[in-house]
Amino acid sequence: MSGGRDITVALTGNPNAGKSSLFNAITGAHQRVGNFPGVTIEKHEGFVDCQGRRITVVDLPGTYSLTPFSPEEIVTRRFIIDEKPDVVVNVVEGANLERNLLLTVQLMEMGVDLLVALNMIDEVEEKGISIDVKQLQQLLGSHIVPTSARQKRGIDALLEHIVRVADGRIEIGKNKLVFSPEVEHAVEKIAGLLLHERALDGTNHRWLAVKLLENDREAYRLVRQYPVWVRVELALQEAIVDCERMHRTDPEVLITEDRHAFIRGAMQECVRQPYDGKATLTDRIDTVVLNRVLGLPIFLAVVWGIFQLTFTLGAPLTRGLEYLFMLAAEALSPRMPDPFTRSILIDGILSGVGGVVVFLPNIVLLFIGLSFLEASGYMARAAFVIDKVMHRFGLHGKSFIPMVTGFGCSIPAIMATRTLKSRSDRLATIMAIPFMSCGAKLPLYVLLSGAFFPPATAANVMFGIYLLGIGVGLWTAWMLKSTVLKSDSEPFVMELPPYRWPTLASVVFQARMKAVMYLKKAGTLILAAVMIIWAASNFPRSREIDAELSREKASIGASEAGAEQKAHALRLAESKAQAGQLEYSVAGRAGRLLEPLIRPLGFDWRIGIALVTGLAAKEVVVSTLGTIVSIGHTGQAADLVSILRSDPGFSPPTAISLMVFVLLYIPCVASMGVMKKEVGAWQPVLAYTGYVLLVAWVASFIAYRLALAFG
Amino acid sequence: MKLSQLKVGDKAVVTSTGSDSLVRRRLMDLGLIRGTELKVLRVAPLGDPIEILFKGLYLTLRKAEAEGIGVRLHGGEAPQAPEPGRAGHRFRFGRAS
Repeated sequence: MSGGRDITVALTGNPNAGKSSLFNAITGAHQRVGNFPGVTIEKHEGFVDCQGRRITVVDLPGTYSLTPFSPEEIVTRRFIIDEKPDVVVNVVEGANLERNLLLTVQLMEMGVDLLVALNMIDEVEEKGISIDVKQLQQLLGSHIVPTSARQKRGIDALLEHIVRVADGRIEIGKNKLVFSPEVEHAVEKIAGLLLHERALDGTNHRWLAVKLLENDREAYRLVRQYPVWVRVELALQEAIVDCERMHRTDPEVLITEDRHAFIRGAMQECVRQPYDGKATLTDRIDTVVLNRVLGLPIFLAVVWGIFQLTFTLGAPLTRGLEYLFMLAAEALSPRMPDPFTRSILIDGILSGVGGVVVFLPNIVLLFIGLSFLEASGYMARAAFVIDKVMHRFGLHGKSFIPMVTGFGCSIPAIMATRTLKSRSDRLATIMAIPFMSCGAKLPLYVLLSGAFFPPATAANVMFGIYLLGIGVGLWTAWMLKSTVLKSDSEPFVMELPPYRWPTLASVVFQARMKAVMYLKKAGTLILAAVMIIWAASNFPRSREIDAELSREKASIGASEAGAEQKAHALRLAESKAQAGQLEYSVAGRAGRLLEPLIRPLGFDWRIGIALVTGLAAKEVVVSTLGTIVSIGHTGQAADLVSILRSDPGFSPPTAISLMVFVLLYIPCVASMGVMKKEVGAWQPVLAYTGYVLLVAWVASFIAYRLALAFG
Repeated sequence: MKLSQLKVGDKAVVTSTGSDSLVRRRLMDLGLIRGTELKVLRVAPLGDPIEILFKGLYLTLRKAEAEGIGVRLHGGEAPQAPEPGRAGHRFRFGRAS
C-alpha cells in the first residue's frame, strides 16, 4: 500500500454515544454538511491531516442496529456497503457498553475494518467501572481506543490507530459470531447456495445469509433478482420451520438473542460495574420533571420559554435588521435618479433580500434552544409528557414543539420537524404547521377586529381565529395520518437518555448550520419568489396614470393654496396614482379576475389584490389593503380603521370571512420554499396548496354565511 | 401477563416479544429480549406512554406497544448486581497504567 494514500473513515454509533462530539473533536472546523442522497438525513463530513495523510471522516447517523427499519439505519448500511470506507470507527458509550455492543457485533458480522472508540471514558472513571480492554479486544477482534470527546482525550491515539488500520498494520480479527446450532446450520446452508451465484461475487455471503434469516427487506430485494432465490427460499422456509419446532420462535428472534448472549458473555468477562443502589442524578431529576402532577406544568413552562426565547428575544433583532435594510434603502435611493432602476433595486432586490434575512434571528435562536433541549436530554421527556395528546391526532409527541413554534413563524417551525424520525410523522406535522396562525397574520386580525367589533368582542374573535387554526391543523394531520400517510408510523419506543450538560460548541454549531442551510437552500428560492410577486404588483405600468400624476402635481404646484394644503393634495394624488398602478399591474388584474370566485365570501376585487400580494408575506395584506381602499376615499385624510368602517365593501361578516381566509389560505412563499426543501419534492407542496385553498374557501364561506345570518 | 398490565414499581421478566414486527425489532435492538428483567418506573402525567428500566436503559413506549410483550412478575431484588467475572489482566481506568 502506498504511504500517501488518503483515508476515508465512517463514524458509527448509537444515538447519545457522543459520536457528534467526537466528530467535532476530530475534525474541528473542517466540516461540511450535506444530505445523504434521497433522504433528508444530514451528512456531516470533515477532514483532518495526520502523519501527512488526509483523513476524511463521515459522521453517519446514530443507530442502535443495522436492520433496514429506519432511514438512519438504511443510510448507515448503504454507506458502509457501497462507499467501502477504509476504516469504520464504532463509537461506543463506555458506561453503557452492553447496549452499545449490539451495533459493534453487527459491524463485526459485516466484516468491515473496524476500530472501536470507547468513548466517554471520563464517565466510566467517575462511575468506577472497570473495563478489561485487552480481553474485550480479543473477543471483538478489533482494536479499542479509549476516548473522551469532552476532555479531548485519546483523539491522537484514535487517529494514529485509524492510519494503522487503513494501512493494514493492525490485523482485524474478523471474528465470527457463532449462532445457535439450528441458525448456524441454516446460515451455512444459505451462504453455500449464495456462493454459486456469480452476480453476488464480492458480497459477504455469510452476512447476507444472516440478513435473509432476519427477514431483512433489502437483502430479500437483492437476492430475489437471481435464479438462486428459488433454492434460497426453500432453505429459509426450512429454517423457519426448524426454529419454530425447536424454540417456538422465528430465526430473527433467535439471531438477536444469540447476539445478546455473546454480548452478555463479553460483559461478564470484561466489565465490572460497581452496584450502587442510590439513584443517579438523572433519576432524581426525572422524579420531578416527569412527576404526575408537575410534569405537565414544567413541560408547558419549557415550551413557553423556547417560544419567548425565539420570538420575544428575536423581535428586537428582527427590527434591527429591518432598520438596517431601511437605512440602506435611504442611503441608496438619492443616488439613483431614475425612478425605475430605483424601484427595481430598492423595492425589488433589497426588500427581497431583506425578506429572506429577517427570519434569521428567529431561526438561530430557536435552534439554539432546540439543540440545547435535544442535547441535554429533555426533548425525549417532552415527547413522553405530551405524546398522549398528539397521538390522538395520529402524531408523535415530538411534533408538539415544532407546532407551537408555528405560532411565531412557520419557517423555523417547519425546519424543526427534523427531530421526527418517521417521514410520515414529519409530513403530517409540516402540513399542520401553517395553520398555527403565525405572527405576520396578527396585524390583519388586530386591524379588522378592532375596526368592526367592540373591544370585548374583538378579543374573542381573535381567540376564535386562533382556535380555528389549531383545529384545522390537527384535523389535517389526523386526516393525512389516517389516509395517505397511514403507513410507517413511528413506534414510540424511545430511549430517555441520561441528562447531560450540552457543550457550547455543539449548540452553536447546530444553530450556525441551520442558518447556513436556510440561507443557501431556501433563501434563493424565497428571494426569487418575493421578486416575482414584487414584479407582478409593479408591472405593467400605466403611462396614463403616470402622466395624470405629473399633470396633477403641476397643477397643485401652480395653485394658490397654502403649503400644508399643497402637501396634503400631493400625498393624495400620489397615493391615488399608486393605487391606480397597482390595479393596472398583473397582481391587480389577477385580483379582478378572482372576483367572481371570492364574491361568495364577501370579498370584492380589492381584497383579491391584497390576497394575491399577501403571498409574498402576510403582513403585506394589510399594507396593500391600506393602499387600495384609500382610492375611492377622497375626503379628509383618515386612519385605515375609519376608512374601512366607512367603506361599503366592508362589514363585520366580511371582516370575519377575511380573517378566516387569511388564517387558512396559502402560506407565504418563504414557508412554501422551506416546505419544498424539507419535503423534497414539489408535488406534495402543490397538492397541499390546492388543499389549503379549498379549506380556506369553504371555511370562509361558512363563516361569512353564519355571520350574515346571526350578525 | 402483559407488560401493559404491570403497575408502577413492578419488576418482571420478558417471556415473549410480541408480533408487531417494527416495535419488536426496535425493542430487540435495544436489548429487550426473552429473559430480560425489567422494572416499570413511571407513567406519563397524562397516563399514556410508560417508562421502563432494563439493563441500565430508560425506555418509553406506549401502552398499545407494551400490550404485545409478555412478562412474568418477578419478586426479589433488583437484577443489577455485578456478577463474578474472570480475574485476569485488567485495564483499570482512572489509574495510571
